[in-house]
Amino acid sequence: MSSSTRKLVIRAYWIVTLLVLAVGVWLSAYYAPIESEMGVIQKVFYFHLPAAFCMFGACFLVFVAGAGYLWQRDQRWDDLADAAAHVAVLLASVVLLTGMLWAKKAWGQWWTWSPRLTFSLILWLLYVVYLILRASIDSAQKRAMVCAVYGVIAFLDVPLVYLSVKLMDDIHPSSVELEPSMLLTLIVWMAGVALLTAGLVAGRFRLARISHKKSHDASGVTGGMA
Amino acid sequence: MRAMLLESSIRLNTHAAAGVTDVCIRAERLGKVIDGRMVLKDLSFEVARGMIVSVLGANGAGKSTLLKLLATLTSPTSGRLELFGRPPDGARSRARIGLVGHETMLYRDLTALENVMLTARLHGVPEARARALTMLDRLGVAERAGDAVRNLSRGTAQRVAIARALVHGPDLLIADEPFTGLDVGSCGVVERVFSEFRARGGTIVMSGHDVEQALRLGEHVLLLMEGRLASSEASHRIEASNLRKRIGGRE
Amino acid sequence: MIALRQILLLLGKDLRIEARTRQALALVLVLGILIVVVLALGLQGGNARGGLSATAILWVAYLFGGAMCFEKTMAVETHDGALAGLLMAPMDRGVIYLSKLLANLVLMATLAIVITPVGVVLFGFDLSRAPLAFASVVGASLIGYAAIGTLFSGLVASSRLSGGLLAVVVFPLSLPLVIASTQLLKGVFEHGNALDASAMGVIVAFDVIFLTVSWIVFELVIEP
Repeated sequence: MSSSTRKLVIRAYWIVTLLVLAVGVWLSAYYAPIESEMGVIQKVFYFHLPAAFCMFGACFLVFVAGAGYLWQRDQRWDDLADAAAHVAVLLASVVLLTGMLWAKKAWGQWWTWSPRLTFSLILWLLYVVYLILRASIDSAQKRAMVCAVYGVIAFLDVPLVYLSVKLMDDIHPSSVELEPSMLLTLIVWMAGVALLTAGLVAGRFRLARISHKKSHDASGVTGGMA
Repeated sequence: MRAMLLESSIRLNTHAAAGVTDVCIRAERLGKVIDGRMVLKDLSFEVARGMIVSVLGANGAGKSTLLKLLATLTSPTSGRLELFGRPPDGARSRARIGLVGHETMLYRDLTALENVMLTARLHGVPEARARALTMLDRLGVAERAGDAVRNLSRGTAQRVAIARALVHGPDLLIADEPFTGLDVGSCGVVERVFSEFRARGGTIVMSGHDVEQALRLGEHVLLLMEGRLASSEASHRIEASNLRKRIGGRE
Repeated sequence: MIALRQILLLLGKDLRIEARTRQALALVLVLGILIVVVLALGLQGGNARGGLSATAILWVAYLFGGAMCFEKTMAVETHDGALAGLLMAPMDRGVIYLSKLLANLVLMATLAIVITPVGVVLFGFDLSRAPLAFASVVGASLIGYAAIGTLFSGLVASSRLSGGLLAVVVFPLSLPLVIASTQLLKGVFEHGNALDASAMGVIVAFDVIFLTVSWIVFELVIEP
């Protein structure tokens, strides 16, 4: 693919993504009904749930990239893990903040130690620490290795975190009844957030590759290493 | 008929044995990239069994990295390394290698004897204590065997480190600047130990800065310049002053 | 069999060094006691006395003390490049991992034995109601904690990271242990329940998963 067609594809991708998100916003504002119990705040749910799903996807990608790096020692895996982790933290922040909005409306407090809020807080912490770890190692090779291990271990930790918070007393509504119009809105949002996530990961990954290529060309090495 | 068969099988055996043991190290286009920087480029050489090879070069030429590679402490980014006739296979290769590092690799809170004994025991050497004492004695540090390493001078600790590297009777000794910090007397002791080791069929690859010593001790010199093999020559064909100029010229 | 002998050799080496220098243990014990005392003083106005807060505070002390243990037992290897010597020994690197894990567990067990009574006394915590349940919950949790702590202390040693980072890395990872054991102890000491199987299952699953994964990964990542 030549660089001009690539540019075109990327631009088209982002236009589609923004369009889908715009449709999602319009649907949630004008099409989906206002929920009787939660009122307008229920609308954050359309962002909250897709963000949570995509966050898991991003965390899984960090895990896969980490395992890939440990297996092949290829710098590209590390760049992928870096991109996915940044997006994971971004999405985790969204999940946490929308969750807190919900908590404020439902229980009158910004924070309760409900299992799901606790779960999203711990996930957010786990991946923020990943970013801190990245920032504190100078050598690219050591950084890739340590972060790969952490990425693998952190992802394996997620189900354990989930099981452990389930031991806590629950006050969270376990399921929400969805009307067809709400479901449609949710599906559009799901598509939009998924596109956004994939685009952000790919964009960040590409940026990292370009900057690596520049520094490697200077020292006479190209590509990753087997 | 039977005798003939026997004879031919013996010949085959000796042939196979010669093929395996004659070459101790074979490096084919070895390369090592650390953090995007090519530290070693395209090194190809062979080291025969029973040789002493000196690796010379300016600081940062890649000597230590090369020795680490040969000790299997890191793996090459490209190229192929064979030790004792086959690719390094973890613990089995390590059992036949002795390493004297840039640092002493000793526990400062253990005594000299405990340090050497620990290595001997990890290698499963029988009668580890006696063997460790013999090695310390051979390096002339037996009377300090009971002292904690933190109380030893740099030179004494270095000799303990060499005893530690040889205690399990390795076939290959890798030594990163083994003579640093040694006074003239201890240098003599270590040189004698190295010669004895070689006489029993051991191979030594060592790095250093002293050109005369490298030429005197080693039959072969590998000269590294900026990660490349600048020359690989038998010692008797090398002019000391010429070699010094080539190393110094890049510093 | 050979591996077991090597593990014991290395464990003996670590404990001998510790017995000679008493660096790690003295520091860890004093830190643990300090944490308990500071928190006891800080919480005195509230409902600190008599309640379950003792277990929470003991947990904080175990976690910080444990992180210090991991750091100290690995620091032995970073002096004078001793780790390279260890890596040259003809053994699976998992042997190094297991011996360090055991050394950490010995130190952490000592820590727990010393500071638990301190916590019990300062908070008037009635441990005698279920001492065995308490010991098994804490014991199982500390094994899992040490499993990841030992792995990351090895990584810290081979990548020359600053020590403070180790605590930041292992604390969030060990939160499932903290939550599960807190819930367990709450059930046992507040409601007089028997040990909850599903909560204990979380802790045991944590132990099994991270012991296995760390043991495998350690081999891949340890470098001088």
